[in-house]
Amino acid sequence: MEEKKVEDKVSDEKKQKKKLNKGGWNLVILGIMAVVIAVITSGVSLLIYHNSGDIYLDRSRPGFLPDEEEIEEENNDDDEEEFKFDKTGPIDLTVLEKYLEELQAEVDAVNAYEKPFEEKVLSDESFGIPKTE
Amino acid sequence: MKRLLVVFAVFVMSLVALPCFAISESQEKAIVDKCNEIKEQLKAVQKDDARTRVHLGGRYETILTSFMMPLNVRLLENNLSNVELVENQNSFAETKSLFNNDYIDYQQRLEELVALDCKKEPANFYEKLDKVRQKRKIVGQDALKLRNLISKHVRLVTVLRGKI
Repeated sequence: MEEKKVEDKVSDEKKQKKKLNKGGWNLVILGIMAVVIAVITSGVSLLIYHNSGDIYLDRSRPGFLPDEEEIEEENNDDDEEEFKFDKTGPIDLTVLEKYLEELQAEVDAVNAYEKPFEEKVLSDESFGIPKTE
Repeated sequence: MKRLLVVFAVFVMSLVALPCFAISESQEKAIVDKCNEIKEQLKAVQKDDARTRVHLGGRYETILTSFMMPLNVRLLENNLSNVELVENQNSFAETKSLFNNDYIDYQQRLEELVALDCKKEPANFYEKLDKVRQKRKIVGQDALKLRNLISKHVRLVTVLRGKI
């Protein structure tokens, strides 16, 4: 009788150990799944980031960070209140004059780039490559 | 059968006659010798272009959304709608979108070029450089078009002011 009790006890202990082992495995599987999902979602995000072209507008990338002078300029620009023409209201001489005055600031900023994306920058001469004979 | 042969011969000849990209020995040597310098220069161009694109893109967006669009809405509300101004706004929005896409295309090509080993493949490098130049030219033309559209907008508004 006592032998049977001992046997039962041993069998119970074994069962409990098995349960614990199974729980451990589940935890490992859960961890692996979490890592796989994280890798897939990050990969997809990076793919979208690259293919949408956002990467080329991102100036926080290493090697593309703005210079100190530029940061200062940007801070000064941020201090200025941004103008937005109101969609509603009457149209008269004063309104249009104010409109043109504010627009001129933007026009000047655009025209400050005399020749944006100049071809000369990528010319043979700029790289020191002799011209085609 | 004869006709088929003639067509085939013409096709082959046209393929042979296609202008292939030529690079001279001196050019090849210069690319190999100055490979690292050229790459550094290209990276600097990439950085400068990113700055120009962000600055100009921001200005274009402001001009479109804070000036052109609200003005046309307000003019319409006041029964003063101007067809030329609306057309100009549409052209501006279209060209702005083209500029954005062409810039991405250009940058992708430039990225490929920077990744290429100019010491091992100088001819291929030079060919790709030429393609990047063409893409850059297109982006420059878009920027020029946008500038002209902005000038036209200012002109039209000035005329409108004179009429009021």
